[in-house]
Amino acid sequence: MTRRAWVRLDNASNIFLAARSDADPKVFRLSADLLEHDVDPELLQEALDTTYDRYPLYHAVLRRGVFWYYLQDSDLHPVVTAEHEPTCAPIYQADRRSLLFRVLYHRRRIVLEVFHALSDGTGALWFLSDLISAYVRLRYPEDGPPDEGADPVGAAPGREERGGMRIRPGAERAPEDTAGQPHGLTTDSFAHYFRRRRATAPGPAFTREATPAPLTVEEAALPSSGGAAAPGRTPRPAGTKADHVKKVHRVRGSRAPDNRTRAVELTMPVKDVLALARAEGAALTMYLTALFFESVRLSSGGLDDSRTLSASVPVNLRQFFPSTSARNFFATVRVEHTYGEGPDDLGSICRQLEGQFRPKATPESLERKLRTFIRFERMPALRIVPRPLKDVILGLVNRASNRGLSVAVSNLGRAGLPEPAGSHVRRVLFQVSAARPQFCAISHGDLLTVSFTSPFTETDHIREFARLLTSRGVDVTVAAARVTEAELTGTAPTEDELAEDEFAEGELTEGESAEAGR
Amino acid sequence: MRRCPACAVDVEGTWTRCPLCATALTGEAVESPLPDVPLRFSRRRVLRTLFLASIAVILVSFLSQLLFNRGLAGIGVLRSVWLGVSAMWLVVLMAIRKRRNVAKGTVYLVVLIGLVCVYWDYLSGWHGWSLTYAVPVVCGSSIIALLITVRVMRIEVGEHILYSGLTMLLGLAPIGFLAFGWVNDPRPSAVCGVLSLLALALLQVASGPEARHELAKRLHL
Repeated sequence: MTRRAWVRLDNASNIFLAARSDADPKVFRLSADLLEHDVDPELLQEALDTTYDRYPLYHAVLRRGVFWYYLQDSDLHPVVTAEHEPTCAPIYQADRRSLLFRVLYHRRRIVLEVFHALSDGTGALWFLSDLISAYVRLRYPEDGPPDEGADPVGAAPGREERGGMRIRPGAERAPEDTAGQPHGLTTDSFAHYFRRRRATAPGPAFTREATPAPLTVEEAALPSSGGAAAPGRTPRPAGTKADHVKKVHRVRGSRAPDNRTRAVELTMPVKDVLALARAEGAALTMYLTALFFESVRLSSGGLDDSRTLSASVPVNLRQFFPSTSARNFFATVRVEHTYGEGPDDLGSICRQLEGQFRPKATPESLERKLRTFIRFERMPALRIVPRPLKDVILGLVNRASNRGLSVAVSNLGRAGLPEPAGSHVRRVLFQVSAARPQFCAISHGDLLTVSFTSPFTETDHIREFARLLTSRGVDVTVAAARVTEAELTGTAPTEDELAEDEFAEGELTEGESAEAGR
Repeated sequence: MRRCPACAVDVEGTWTRCPLCATALTGEAVESPLPDVPLRFSRRRVLRTLFLASIAVILVSFLSQLLFNRGLAGIGVLRSVWLGVSAMWLVVLMAIRKRRNVAKGTVYLVVLIGLVCVYWDYLSGWHGWSLTYAVPVVCGSSIIALLITVRVMRIEVGEHILYSGLTMLLGLAPIGFLAFGWVNDPRPSAVCGVLSLLALALLQVASGPEARHELAKRLHL
């Protein structure tokens, strides 16, 4: 008799289900371009089989309970396929028991696409890392001994703490199946760190209470502390009135005919961009964010009265709160800049953003914030709300929080692929389906990739971004997927025609999806 | 690699114009790391519209019956045809919509068919045929059908157990009809009730813990 392991969906993940839309199916993609050869599908399948066995979390299918969604173990087997769908095509469909990720290949590229309720960028990077390691071991057996026992990824903090496996009581089958392996259907790390702990030992009872939350969105709705927060000043979870009078600029545009995500990848030498960021005294993420704000401003044709640009930036919580769980474990921080109120040069914007970001991204500040959310989420009155109604409420909250955001950015940092896999990979890329223009950055070796995604077909902000970089002496390479009918039929219009199209199509859309960020 | 002179960027792939600014590119094309995926017409929106429109038409069909006199003297045959078509449409629609989980679909159908029959009986002057024959027969046969289907299709216990249980509980309703004396002929209700009790006992013996585990999971707070 089969009784499957299951675990309730974690704090951050519920929002992804409530905020799914046709244009933003809440899928993200990590890909790696191999250096020498096209991908061998059979070897990739073999590599996927070995990797899949080690990640019980990825066996999960999503199911619906009366009050919550939950992840449940399955016997499904993933099959690698040639890439034949647009970037970040929908994965989860209600009522269908299918895996929540897919592995694709195209020429030299290995692609992992994941439904965001399953895992976050860092968690998925572990999987991709192991997948590529396994593939490289099969493809280049001469490189080194196949070291099966070793955990090839060094990126995961505290990986040795595998005892942290917690399975629900009643999930009898699970312990022998999944215990001792990393990345299982563990309790979510939100509950682990940010719930008020009981005096009693955190045994199964603790797990039972591992509660996710309708609340992650709230943090996205958090207005920033307004202007340049002085370092050390704690951001208040509640917005002040001054925050709301600022009108946030929202990017609009026309959608692709089948609502697919517009994805454009910029590749550049990481050291050049790092040098630029250092020269401005900012970290890379905030430097790129400042460039993004500039690009949006330049491409908007005048910001008019909505002169505030804001971005949501996800912060990986594993760096502060060690966790081996591959499930979602991040919080988002909102930064903003208002044009026309002081210096508007790139350097000043960078420093201002940095000044806002730093104090909000400290363990203390994040912990305080998340504890509040989790407490709210644990309120009995909210817990008994049936799931469909929760979805509606979350969707509305999300919609409201979207109004305060212009763009989103996400930086996964260095991919940190282990050797020998690392030396066979040219570059790593990271993309997410987007409710608003967004970029995702990740670096590997000497190359930094900044991948733009947008629900709109317009590429003006990307053009400005690329030009801002090239005018500063950075070599930028562009790769783009064709999304519009004109591009796909090879009759790309000229710039004038494009300008006309903007008036002709004009299906202006409000981004209707989640913030919760990546 | 091709190059856009205006943006000063290299462009991967076979673009003839810059994907960012539409300026003509120079240089040799290289292969694109991304495939060209043809545009695809998504049927989801069409199907959703069709479904909602169908439900609306069916509801209106059923409700508009109240405008006519009860009893066959009213519009007689026409009403039967009208209701028959609407009911058939509803059944097909729900069967298709819930096709991915047979057990769940069965519960839906039992409830819908039961309600439609009772309403129809009411509209045609309440002869009691719905409670006497239709509901017990539908409940009883769906219990038998489910017992067979889950074995033939090898549906996992966890997948169907709650819906099977629910169907069996619905099968107990005819016992209530008997008790209240709502039926003209006690046989169908009695058979259905006994069948449901037997099926429930079987369920309890064979997979009681499974059912409780599934319930705890679905109703988890």
